[in-house]
Amino acid sequence: MTGIYLAGAFVIGGGLLINRNRAINYLLVIAFLALQIGFTVYEYQHLNTIELGYFSADALGILMLMTLTLISVPAMYHSYIYLSDKNDNPRHRAFYYAAMVMLLTALSAAYLANHIAVNWIFVELTTLSASVLIYHRRNPNSLEGTWKYIFVCAISITLVFIGILFLSFALHQAGTDDLSFAMLIKKAPELNQFWLRLAFIFIFTGFTAKLGLVPMYTAGIDAKDKAPSPAGALLSSVLMNVGFVGIFRFYTVMSNSPLHSWANHVILIAALLSIFVATVYMTKVKNIKRMFAYSSIEHAGIAMLGLVAGGIGYYAAVLHIILHAFVKSAFFFQMGQIYRIYKSKSIYDAGNYFKYNLTGSMVMLLGFFSATAMPPAGLFISELLIFRSLFEANYLAVLIVVILFLTIIIWAFGKNIFKLLFSPAVGLDETNIEKIKPAESLSQFFLLGLAVYLGLNPPQEFVTLIQEAIKNLPQ
Amino acid sequence: MTNVLLIIFMISLLYLSIAHQLLTYIKILAFQGVLLFGIAFIELSQINVVNLAFVLLETIAFKALAIPFFLKYVINKNRITRDAEPFLPNFISLIINTSIIIGMFVLSNAIADSTISKIYFVVALSTLFTGLYIIVTRKKIITHVMGYLVIENGVFILSLAVGNEMPMLVNMGILLDIFASVFLLGIFINKIGDILKDVDADQLRHLRD
Amino acid sequence: MISFCLIILVSLFFSGILIRTRSIAAGRKGPGIFQPMKDIIRLVKKGAVFSNTTSFIFQIAPTIYFASVIMAIMVIPLGEYKGFISFDGDFVFFAYILATGKFFNIIAALDTGSSFEGMGASREALFSMFAEPAFFILMGSFALLTGNSSFQEIFTSLHFGSYISYILGVLATIVLLMITLVENSRMPFDDPNTHLELTMVHEVMVLDNSGLDLAMILYATNLKFAMYGAIIANLFMGSFPLYFTIPIFFALQIIFAVTIGMLESFTARFRMNHNAQYILVLSSVSLLIFLGVLLVLGKFN
Repeated sequence: MTGIYLAGAFVIGGGLLINRNRAINYLLVIAFLALQIGFTVYEYQHLNTIELGYFSADALGILMLMTLTLISVPAMYHSYIYLSDKNDNPRHRAFYYAAMVMLLTALSAAYLANHIAVNWIFVELTTLSASVLIYHRRNPNSLEGTWKYIFVCAISITLVFIGILFLSFALHQAGTDDLSFAMLIKKAPELNQFWLRLAFIFIFTGFTAKLGLVPMYTAGIDAKDKAPSPAGALLSSVLMNVGFVGIFRFYTVMSNSPLHSWANHVILIAALLSIFVATVYMTKVKNIKRMFAYSSIEHAGIAMLGLVAGGIGYYAAVLHIILHAFVKSAFFFQMGQIYRIYKSKSIYDAGNYFKYNLTGSMVMLLGFFSATAMPPAGLFISELLIFRSLFEANYLAVLIVVILFLTIIIWAFGKNIFKLLFSPAVGLDETNIEKIKPAESLSQFFLLGLAVYLGLNPPQEFVTLIQEAIKNLPQ
Repeated sequence: MTNVLLIIFMISLLYLSIAHQLLTYIKILAFQGVLLFGIAFIELSQINVVNLAFVLLETIAFKALAIPFFLKYVINKNRITRDAEPFLPNFISLIINTSIIIGMFVLSNAIADSTISKIYFVVALSTLFTGLYIIVTRKKIITHVMGYLVIENGVFILSLAVGNEMPMLVNMGILLDIFASVFLLGIFINKIGDILKDVDADQLRHLRD
Repeated sequence: MISFCLIILVSLFFSGILIRTRSIAAGRKGPGIFQPMKDIIRLVKKGAVFSNTTSFIFQIAPTIYFASVIMAIMVIPLGEYKGFISFDGDFVFFAYILATGKFFNIIAALDTGSSFEGMGASREALFSMFAEPAFFILMGSFALLTGNSSFQEIFTSLHFGSYISYILGVLATIVLLMITLVENSRMPFDDPNTHLELTMVHEVMVLDNSGLDLAMILYATNLKFAMYGAIIANLFMGSFPLYFTIPIFFALQIIFAVTIGMLESFTARFRMNHNAQYILVLSSVSLLIFLGVLLVLGKFN
């Protein structure tokens, strides 16, 4: 089925690229969505089977795949809205949809890959397709964002490749040359530690470009800022998940080797620095999309802290990153409407949102509660579990520092959101405000509600899947 | 014989740190491509012939011919000036590059593995860090791309160290190289040259907080 | 003994061959091969003039410089025949006796009280400082390779077997060639024919010397050329019998002189700001020679 999925997606992508007719475009997009949903359902029913030698639908892959499918449907819908109210350039539209299809396909394949090299190839493909999406508006600022994104991601991917080479050195001594994750976990205690350390440093640094941690987070900020809002939603939710999957799988390997605590220290430093960076920038940022991007960095840091702490933290980290994907994509979808009303992304030009778009502003308010992890949002549960695991693992100093940072972030985030929602806008021309249909905010309510549901009262299958995903970590 | 070629490769790295003109960078990159061709030819004797032919073709055709030609075309088309415009004087670059090489020597003493040849490790990592250093200390955007190509060369050398047992990794390295050159160079330098009048990294400072 | 005599012999015509090569490359016929020696003899017959601002340092410095070069020559072996002075670690003695001579040269230049000479002295000191690590790392690598530490023992036990030792030999020759150019202030680091004091390095240091002093300094330059040529020749001589080594020695010295002449004719002087980095490259290249030696010794695999 993976082969059918990849071939079908390739054909649909090619069709989208060469076709200029609107109706066929939409038909192909709907066909792709159907293919994606079918693929997800099939893989869920065939848990843990290996297909084509390199793809196996293990629990983590299924969870991420379901998240991807759930987000891709509103992404396509909002892309349709986004592209339908500009003066249409069929060629640009074709590139946009083709790139989006390729991004979703590459992400699905990367989630399911069970061999580190195949994972690497598909992550490289996501860089390519994401950059086409970022460049959609084709003005100098988006060119700058695309160039920075491509360059930093190219260097990061090269670093991951160097890490894979060091890993093969380590395996060489253990007498095998199979780089699949199953073999790596099995051989983890015997691997040469020097090479394993180097491999971990390089792979971790490389994947932080996708996940959004120090040191390579910079690419993502500009990318999420410049990409069109539906694409930005994908970049800050499911693309971050592929970084998480890469780091998580390698972390599982490290945790079964003697270098577990050393790896924990490395990740701890990166996560703390990320939350610090997010705090600093959130207090001074004026562009709403960049604010969301920095908030993503903060959440990635918190999820990594869960991994470091262990115990219940493993469960909480996976839960956090899934729920964060839903919440952040809802924000970015809503951003499209904000931009259409105020024609600007700066917080100074926006205000009094309740007057112009009631449903949208409800989304923003509920989203604010979700993103800053206030009850009853799902992220509250996952953050509480992460704090508890940090406390139980005797990282009390880290916990206090993180709570301090989070307080500052809540203040900064709240200051900007309340300015958007309640204060009057400065210099806004009220005559030509576009009317947004309330139905367009439905997808965001659904996503936010899903985050609440999965946090407060998750279905048993969901909990089982997460527990199965973390089973290889030392309990 | 590979040791000789690797030492000559390191001398070319030192020369890269004191070069002034962009054309010198391109010539050194082409020369490094030829050296890598030699090393690949001698080292990878145990993989099958088709794979070997592909690797050799890629080093000569891509690294030594196509990429230098493409870089020269981009420089001419965008009328980029000759100087490499470093932030630090070349003297300090030379000292830093020499200390990078010394640092890699010292690091390689910590390797307890006897099956991997240490000189590959030293040369590959020095190339990697020299490439990163070139990216960080040069103003022009085209020198960023050249620094990335130097990193690519380093990755290729590292992959040759295990090339005999795992030829797939060498192929993946080549895939990365082709991806980088086609994508980075082909599409975006041309676009950047058209839109930004002065291809300076100073122009890329609009997206900030 | 024999190497001392041979080096003195070579120094008589080395400079002449150098100037002749440059002239022929420029399309002229050029002076005779022994013309520089005739110039030196003419200078010896003249008297010296000392400025009022100088002290005794200025009067004794050229003699000390000349003496240091002679002592350095006494260390150099020829194949398996030791020099006059030979002990463990004598290459360090060699480098530092030359440095003593250079130090006296520099303070004599400062002694004259002329700012031009001071400028030339500081440049000379800088360039020698950067070339010094190159020499030490090179000789140190060879000492590591052969396990001995005296010139003569190093050169007799050096033999070239594998590919890598050939490249080490070639690299060492190039480094020594460049060190010669730096130490003797030739192109491309310094132009001996320049008239402009602002661009001089070595010439300006000896601007105020005359008579016997100037003759000693000029002859010391010739001796230094022959000395470095002897070191390079020693790299290739090994332990052949005497009737073999002497012709090889002369041949190598002549080739060395012609090479320097060609290098001088066809390169321009480096920009003064950039001179320092080109000299430092020598030290970095000799570091790579050290790496190569570690490879050959098998300490690196």
